[in-house]
Amino acid sequence: MIPMSFILAAQAAPEVIDRIPSGYNHFVIPFCVGIVFFLIWITVGCIRILLNIPHSDRLRFWKSLVSPVTIYKNLRDLFCDCLFHVKIWKRKPLLGYMHSAIAFGWFMLILLGHIEVALFVPKRLGISRSALFYPIFYRFFVWMNPGHTTLRGWVFFFLMDFFLLYVLSGIALAVFKRFRSLALGMKHTTKPSLADRVALYSLWLIFPMRLLAESFTADLSGGSFLTIPVNHLWHLIFGDKLWIMPSWWCYSICLGLFFAVMPFSRYMHILTEVLWILLRNAGIKPNHPRKGVAEAEIYACSSCGLCLDACPMNVQKKNLKYSSVYFIRFLRRHNERKINDIADKCLMCDKCHALCPVGVDAPALRRAQRATVNESIAYDYSYLGSAVPVHTATEGNAPEVMYFAGCMSHLTPRIIKSVEKVFNAAGVSYVFADEGGGICCGRPLMLAGRNDAAAKTIAANKKMIEESGCRTLVLSCPICFKIFKEEYGLKGVNVVHYTQYFNELIASGRLKPSMGRERLVYHDPCELGRGCNVYYEPRAALSQLATLVKASKEYDESLCCGGSLGSLTLDTRDRAKISETAVSSLMVNNPDKIVTACPLCLKTFSESVANSTHQVSPVRVVDFAEAISESIGN
Amino acid sequence: MKNNVLIVGGGPAGLEASSQLQRLGYNVILIERSAALGGHLAKWDRLFPSGVSAQDALKTLLGRIEGVKCFTDTEVQSINRLDKSYNVILSNGITVLADAVLMTTGFDLFEASRKEEYGYGIYNQVMTNADLEAYFRNHSDKRIDNPRRIGFVHCVGSRDEKAGCRSCSKVCCATAVKQAIEMKQAFPEADVFCFYMDLRLFGRHYEDMYLKAQKDYGIRFIRGRVAEVAENADGSLQVKAEDTVASKPLKVSLDLLVLMAGMRPSVSGRRVGELLEVPVEEDGYFSVREGIVSGQRSPLPGIFLAGAATGPKTLPDTLADARAAAVLVDDYLSGIFTEAKHYKNLVRELW
Repeated sequence: MIPMSFILAAQAAPEVIDRIPSGYNHFVIPFCVGIVFFLIWITVGCIRILLNIPHSDRLRFWKSLVSPVTIYKNLRDLFCDCLFHVKIWKRKPLLGYMHSAIAFGWFMLILLGHIEVALFVPKRLGISRSALFYPIFYRFFVWMNPGHTTLRGWVFFFLMDFFLLYVLSGIALAVFKRFRSLALGMKHTTKPSLADRVALYSLWLIFPMRLLAESFTADLSGGSFLTIPVNHLWHLIFGDKLWIMPSWWCYSICLGLFFAVMPFSRYMHILTEVLWILLRNAGIKPNHPRKGVAEAEIYACSSCGLCLDACPMNVQKKNLKYSSVYFIRFLRRHNERKINDIADKCLMCDKCHALCPVGVDAPALRRAQRATVNESIAYDYSYLGSAVPVHTATEGNAPEVMYFAGCMSHLTPRIIKSVEKVFNAAGVSYVFADEGGGICCGRPLMLAGRNDAAAKTIAANKKMIEESGCRTLVLSCPICFKIFKEEYGLKGVNVVHYTQYFNELIASGRLKPSMGRERLVYHDPCELGRGCNVYYEPRAALSQLATLVKASKEYDESLCCGGSLGSLTLDTRDRAKISETAVSSLMVNNPDKIVTACPLCLKTFSESVANSTHQVSPVRVVDFAEAISESIGN
Repeated sequence: MKNNVLIVGGGPAGLEASSQLQRLGYNVILIERSAALGGHLAKWDRLFPSGVSAQDALKTLLGRIEGVKCFTDTEVQSINRLDKSYNVILSNGITVLADAVLMTTGFDLFEASRKEEYGYGIYNQVMTNADLEAYFRNHSDKRIDNPRRIGFVHCVGSRDEKAGCRSCSKVCCATAVKQAIEMKQAFPEADVFCFYMDLRLFGRHYEDMYLKAQKDYGIRFIRGRVAEVAENADGSLQVKAEDTVASKPLKVSLDLLVLMAGMRPSVSGRRVGELLEVPVEEDGYFSVREGIVSGQRSPLPGIFLAGAATGPKTLPDTLADARAAAVLVDDYLSGIFTEAKHYKNLVRELW
C-alpha cells in the first residue's frame, strides 16, 4: 500500500485514496444483514399500510404529495418534528437537546458521509456492490494523502467530528436520563420492553464504537479535533499495535444489531414517523385502532413517555399503566383484553395528543378501539323523529341567536340563568332551543365509540337548527360546542361558544361589565381549549371584570377536572384525586374564585372544593357566564 | 373524688349520656356550640314512626339533666393530653380537667344546593326536609301556598359517590314517608310523589307507616332518581326522572319539591376531633376502636363516641348509643382509671 501511495502522490496527488481496492471487508456483513432485513421489513410495512387505507384516502394521500401546501407542511414537520424535535425543545429544553442531538446529529453523519463519498470516491456510490455500506464505513476504506489535504477535506473532517461529538453528548444525556429522569424534566419514564432494551443498548454503543473505530484509523484516513487526539492517546497506550479490525467489527455488529431489532422496538418510530407525518398532513383519519393509518400511527410512537407525565390519571402511580404509551404498546402486541381495559379508562382530555412530539392522536385510537367492542343492547331512537323545531323561520323575524344549553347545562341551572341574564342585558334577541329538554349533541356517544347512535342524534338536532332559520348558534357547553363545530356541518350557521359570543358583546360595547377587585383564575376546559383551540376569548372577557391570575398548568397543558364524560370505567375516588390536583394547580396564586366555562368542570370543581375538608373557607367556583352576569349588576 | 367527664355536643346523644353519667355520680360538663340545647331535634316537629312531638321528647331529655354543668355558646379552644386525662380550655375561659371525654358531635345536614341539578337555592319552589319541618312548626313558608302536586326526592347527598357521600343516611326514607303523609294531611287534594332508589326503612312499625302512606294516603312511590329540575315560566317545576320499574323516562310538573338532605359528618365536630387527634374514616365520621365488641370507645384511651358522630343513626339508636357510652365511661373511670400504677398496662389490655 505504501509504495502505491507514493506513486499517486507524485502524480495527481488526490486527497483521498481508495485504500482497499475491492471496497469490501468481511466486517461489514453484520451491518449489511441488519440493514437489508430492516429495509425489506419497512418496505413491506409501507405497502401493507397503503393497501389497508380505503381507496378514497389513498387517492387523497397521493394528491397531498404533490400539493404545494402539504409539501410545505410535510417539509416543515419533517424537519421540526423528526430532526429537531421542536415540540420537546419548547417544553423541556434539555430533553429536546437530547432528542435532537441523536436524531439530527445522526442524520448529519449519514448525509455528510454520503457527500464525502460522492466528492472523493464517487465510483463507490450509485449502483455499485459497495453502495450499501461504503459511505457508512468510509473512514475504514480510504487513506488520506497527508500532504494534500485541502480546505474542503478539513471542513469535512471537522464536521464529521463535530456531529459525532454532538451525537455523543446526546447519548450521554440519554444514559444519564435512564437513571435520573427527573433532571431532564420527566417524572415518569416508560418501562422498556426486551427488544427496546436490546435496541437501546446497541444504540448507546454505536457512537462510542464509531469514535473508537474512527480514532484507531485516524492516522490513516484522517480526522479532526476529536479523533486525532484520541488516536494519539491510543498510540500512547498501545504503541503501534492498534485494534483496528476488532473495533470496526464491533461498530458494524452494533449497527447490524440495532437495525435487526428496530422493527420490534420503539425505535421503529424513526422512520415510521415520516410516513405518519405524510399521512397526517394528508388529513387521513384512522377508522380502526390498528389497521391502515392507525398502524403507521402506532409505530410512529417513540415510547418517549412524555404522555406519562401529561396524563391526569397519573397523579396516582397505579394508573400509569393506562397511559397512551402503553395503550399503543399493547395495540402493537395485539393484547385484546388489556387494550379494551385501557381504552375505556381514558378521560379523553387530549393532553397526551397535545404534548406528543410526534402528534400521535392516542385518544382517537382509543375511540376507534371502543367502537370495535360489540354492543348488543339495542337502543330505541324512534323518539328523535318527533323532535320539533322551537322556532320556524319566516321572513325577517328570525331571532339574532339560538341558544342550545345541552344536557350538562341543564344540570347546572345557574349557567342557564346567567346566560339568559346576559342576553337580556345586552339586548340580544334569542331563542332557547332546548328549554323544555333537548336531544343529546352526540359527543358523549362518540366518546364512547357509539358513532352510529351519535349520527342519529346529530341528524335530529341538525334538522331542528336548520329549520329554525337562526344564523348564530350559541352553546354553553364545550362538549356540545366541539361536536356542533366539527361534525354537524351546519351551513351558514355561525357556531360559537358563549365565551366567544360574550367577548364579542363586550368588545362591541353591547355589554359593559364593571371592573371588580377580585382575583380570578380561569380553568381551560379540555374540550374548549385543546378540543377547539379557544384560549383567548374567555381570558379577554374576564380581564374586563377582574384581575386574572395564573394557574400552574394552563392553556394546552391545563389539567382535566376529573369529571370528564370520556372515561367509561374510571372510579369516583380516582376522579376525586384528579380533581384535587387540578384545583391545587388553579389555587397556586390564591385567587378568590375559580372560573370555568364548562358545566361539567363547574360541577366537578364545586364538588371537589366542597368535599375537601382541609380548607377553612373554600374558594368559590363559578361559571364564566355567572362571572359576567355578576359584573353587569341587575 | 368525683371524676370529671366532658361531653362535647348538646344534642339528644349528649343530653342522654350526661343525664346517665350524672346519675352514676360523675361530675358532668356538657358543652354546646349553639345557643340552645337539643341539636337537630330542637328544629323538628314530629317524629316517625308514631308522630310524637319532637319538642315533648326534647323536654323529657332536658328534664333529666339536673346537676349537669351546661355551657351553651361554648366551643373547645384547645386540648392537652396529660398523663391520663385531658386539659381542655373552653372558649368561655373555663378550663376543664376531664378524665374522660365523650364526643356527641352529631351530624350536619347535607347542603342541598350542592346538588345543583335539583335547583335548591336557584328555583323558588324547592325546599329541604328541614325547611319543611320548620314549616310544620310555625305554619308559614312562602313556598307553600296550597300546593297541588308535591314531590319528595330521597337520597340527596346520601348514597351518592359523586357528592362524596357514599353511606346511607338511614333516616331520610322514614322521614320522607312521614313528611309525605303530613303533607297529604295538610293538603288532602294534593298529589304526592316520592322518588326513591331503594326504600331503606327497617325499624319497628316503619313498614306499617309505609303501607299506610300507600293505602290510606295514596302517595305514589316512583323508583328512580330525579335527573334534573327546571323552572317553568309560572314558577312551577318541571321534574325529569326515570321510572325504573316501568323502564320509562318520566316528566312531571310539580308545585313543590322537597329534597331529603342526608347526614354529613359535623364540620365543627371534626374540628374538635382534630384537636383530640381522634382518627376519622374515609367517610368523614370518627372511627371507633376496631372490633365489634368495643362499642363506643374511640381508638384513644379515655375518649368515647356516641350518636351520629360515628355514622348516621335514628333517634332511638342515638339514645341507646348514648346510654351504652355512659356505661363504658363508667367502666373505664371505675376500673382502668383508678388503678394509677397499672394504668398503662390496663389500657393496653382492656381498652
